[in-house]
Amino acid sequence: MCRPSTATAVLLLSALLAGGCSRNRSASGGGGAVVTLTYWTSTNRQEVALATELVGKWNRLHPKIQVRMQQLPVNQSTEEVIVAAVSAGTTPDICSNIWPGSVPEYARAGALVRLNQFADFDSLVRARMSEAAMAGFRSEDGNSYQIPWKTNPVMMIYNRQLFRRAGIANPPRTYSEYLADAGRLTFDENHDGVVDHWMGYRDVRPIWWQRFFDFYTLYCAAAGDRPIVEKGGVTADPQVCAEVFGFFAECFRNGFYPKTFFQFDPFIAGNVATEFVGPWTISYIKENYAGQIDYGIVPVPVPDSYRGPESTYGDHKCMVIFSTSRHPAEAWEFLKFLVNEEADLRLLQVASQIPVRRDIVWAPSYRSFFDANPDLRLFASQALTAREVGQSPDEKEIFDTISQVFEECSVYNRSTPNEAAAALLKRIGAILAWNR
Amino acid sequence: MLRARSHGWLLSSPYLVYAAVFVVFPLAFSLYLVFHRWDGMAAPVFVGLGNLARLVQDPLFYRSILNTLEFLVIHIPLQIVFALLFAVALNSITWLRGFFRAVYFMPVVVSGVVVTILWQQLYSYDNGVLNTILTHLGLGRVPWVTSPALAMPSIALMATWKNVGLYTVMFLVGLQDIPAEMHEAARIDGATAVKRFLRITVPLLRPTMTLVVVLSTINGFSLFVEPYVMTGGGPLNSTLSTVLYIYNQGFYFGHLGYGAALGFVFALIILVVVLIQRKALESA
Repeated sequence: MCRPSTATAVLLLSALLAGGCSRNRSASGGGGAVVTLTYWTSTNRQEVALATELVGKWNRLHPKIQVRMQQLPVNQSTEEVIVAAVSAGTTPDICSNIWPGSVPEYARAGALVRLNQFADFDSLVRARMSEAAMAGFRSEDGNSYQIPWKTNPVMMIYNRQLFRRAGIANPPRTYSEYLADAGRLTFDENHDGVVDHWMGYRDVRPIWWQRFFDFYTLYCAAAGDRPIVEKGGVTADPQVCAEVFGFFAECFRNGFYPKTFFQFDPFIAGNVATEFVGPWTISYIKENYAGQIDYGIVPVPVPDSYRGPESTYGDHKCMVIFSTSRHPAEAWEFLKFLVNEEADLRLLQVASQIPVRRDIVWAPSYRSFFDANPDLRLFASQALTAREVGQSPDEKEIFDTISQVFEECSVYNRSTPNEAAAALLKRIGAILAWNR
Repeated sequence: MLRARSHGWLLSSPYLVYAAVFVVFPLAFSLYLVFHRWDGMAAPVFVGLGNLARLVQDPLFYRSILNTLEFLVIHIPLQIVFALLFAVALNSITWLRGFFRAVYFMPVVVSGVVVTILWQQLYSYDNGVLNTILTHLGLGRVPWVTSPALAMPSIALMATWKNVGLYTVMFLVGLQDIPAEMHEAARIDGATAVKRFLRITVPLLRPTMTLVVVLSTINGFSLFVEPYVMTGGGPLNSTLSTVLYIYNQGFYFGHLGYGAALGFVFALIILVVVLIQRKALESA
């Protein structure tokens, strides 16, 4: 792949000055070559523990293919690290913490190995997910550059104690039920004239990825299989967009959601009755507040007229092999090891995260884990229908636009839901046209 | 002679290498990027004047310039008034002078991110310290950073609090350069304290004033940390500063070529503003 010498030079120079771009790709042993692979994992404590265990086991079983595990270099986001590494040519062989929305950018830059070139790719994928589900991870050129590894499907957690106090027996399923309950769950407990309990809370700052956990989660729940963007065109359902914008507009306009920024988790503090969360919240509560919070987990609310299956945003992470790898075949073998049945069980046990497997809920290997962790079984069930962002190289910019429109319509009531939906589709179209 | 010249080059070489690597090359590379589309990974694609054509039609760029100017219009006068007041006060006290100087300077050395996170707690609408005090006094809550009209003034106030110590020190240095005899002579002639301040102190502080205005203008144009951490550019883009917008384009969306074009045009705008400002202050 041809890259500009100036660009490469400046980035390589920066990397050298920062003190580290030495690469130790492979070493020759006395009795035949030993291949050394570099594997980047997340800096999350549980994932580091899991990777350490799996790499140790692999290295014991494969003396000729040794894996060196490294935590992703510290930066604001994984994406920034990867972009810098791609530019400097210092990417590892394998990385397991890739956001699917960034894969098209890396693929377009020629930074990834095409995984469907491997003979057993199809059988591996078929064992893990349906063809329809895999289609959402296929790039626009028809190739596959990623293996979906784990998912954190977003569901609604609710505080049972607050619901009981408000005389509400069941959590809401539809927007109308949610808004009706919100009127009873938003109140001023200490009667100082200031509301101190709310139905929910969302970060109102226009930060693009925050919209995964409000607008996009509810869009996925209500739009079925219709993505925001597909094959270079805008495919979002304007009716669903308007309904979601309208729902959040009601929440903010009526004060059911505060327009503030908390430095603490208001759900855990007991200040909000519901929150849209992934399974990481359950692990956090169990680890730090076991027995202190009486909570329940249900699917996120849907429009009153919705009659389809329960769905949500999946917050997936994938594994990729970078094209700088000198040993893609060996890297592929290691990647398969990381997603085998036993490794997936350890992902559940060590990190409490849901592996992407179509048999996750009923496979005997995982039954005892889910029997002991029924909350996570709920998330695993949602994982089967959870959706991901599209495979357009412009996902971040698209979500920034969603964030802008969300702010205009839902938070500050500057446009009606229908105007907001129309504006969103128009602006996304302009982004696609400019970036084409 | 030749030997002396080569020694000169040798002694200058650290600076030359530094300038070549960290000034000349990045500048030249940025200029190259102005005419290219580049995501930081794939090969840059030549787009001619495409980035500049997009820039002139980009409403968010103009909005960010207006926001930055709004910040400057509030921040610079506040900064000068408070810095001058503090400097005069600190110049006149003898008791605990060093302590007070250190206290005023302390926010300058604290990280901008830390200061912003602390002020976020002060400004928070529903549970912030300021609004809690206001409600206890029977007053209404103020949407400090959630109202599009108030968000930028609130950020300007916070930035003033953070930076005022630096300019206070500059004014202190200027004040100490004013000969005491001039004040003494004016006092003997019957000039009041206010008159002495307006007729002696302020005119003789003009060089310091020019420096403070130019430095705070340049610093103000580089507004980034405060909106990045506190508001993300919202509400409704009211705190989207130009540097934040350039950062978003370059590093969030991978439009490094467009980011470079925005950066170059913005640098030209700063240059023009500073030149006008200097001319105006020097001829005043």
